[in-house]
Amino acid sequence: MSDREDRLKSLLSKVRAKRPDERATRAADVLERIRTASGAVPAVQTAPATPPPPTPAPEPPTSPTIDSPTRYSSQPPRVERPLSVEPRARPSSGAPQKSSQSPSRRPDSIRAQSVAPTGQPIVYATDEPEFPRPKTFGDLLELTLSLRPR
Amino acid sequence: MHDGRFDPGGFYEFNLGGGTVRTRTGERVIMLSEAVLSSLVAAAARDGDLTPLRRLGELLGEHVLGGLDRPASVLTPEAILGHVSAVTALFGWGRLTFERWGPALVIALRDKPELDEDDLGAAALLGGMFSEISQRQVSCVPTGDSKFVMVDFEVAETVWGWFKDGADLPTIMGMLQPKRAS
Repeated sequence: MSDREDRLKSLLSKVRAKRPDERATRAADVLERIRTASGAVPAVQTAPATPPPPTPAPEPPTSPTIDSPTRYSSQPPRVERPLSVEPRARPSSGAPQKSSQSPSRRPDSIRAQSVAPTGQPIVYATDEPEFPRPKTFGDLLELTLSLRPR
Repeated sequence: MHDGRFDPGGFYEFNLGGGTVRTRTGERVIMLSEAVLSSLVAAAARDGDLTPLRRLGELLGEHVLGGLDRPASVLTPEAILGHVSAVTALFGWGRLTFERWGPALVIALRDKPELDEDDLGAAALLGGMFSEISQRQVSCVPTGDSKFVMVDFEVAETVWGWFKDGADLPTIMGMLQPKRAS
């Protein structure tokens, strides 16, 4: 299991622990989706007037493969992804590195949110001054005598 | 000049009995009216030979260097300006100031004698003076409004052509850029 999957599972556990009501709602949603996809009659339509015989209740989703990947990857908790400590890995050369994750997880959109600097334009940090500030008359002279037509 | 400031006291020595005026370095100078000098400079500009004015500028530069206790290149622009403007004023050539236009050094010479229409006489004088001060061959190209941009000899003709074609100083600055060290 990859680090990313581990992280997603960790996130899932935290969300469930903090928001049990929502967890139940999501679990119900997932169950409903599974039933619909398998051709089963939706539960709301088959609900009998009397309680059904006890059957083993399906477990709430515990694996990322069950849950919708878009739900978690498109709105990740910001605290789980530090802004500054992770450099973006780039393939050095050749074909781009193939991600082992599903394209539907949209990892790029997550990274784009997480690495964006907060409030400080990058241009000011990376641009070099157009010319150095002269300190002496000699510096001033060197600059003006270095001028050439563009 | 231990305090770095120009001392104008006793710069000229008037010898009324001998009928001479000398600078404190012993160089003899004469007084000329602006009208006379302008006709001489205009004629020189027409002939394309402003060497005498450039030589006069070099003499002014020597006076500046004589007042410096260190090479001009290691002094601040303000210190150099103090000496240059004082010598220029003592010889009656007007009020000189420096201006920074990006990387360019621009010399403004206000209230100067009106010598020729294109200010080539003043340009030659300034070029000679700053060449002597910096110990390098520099050119001061007129850019209008009594301002002269200091550039290398190699590009002076080009800059002058831009000005004659109608470019003002900001436009000229936009057409110049510092040469990158390779």
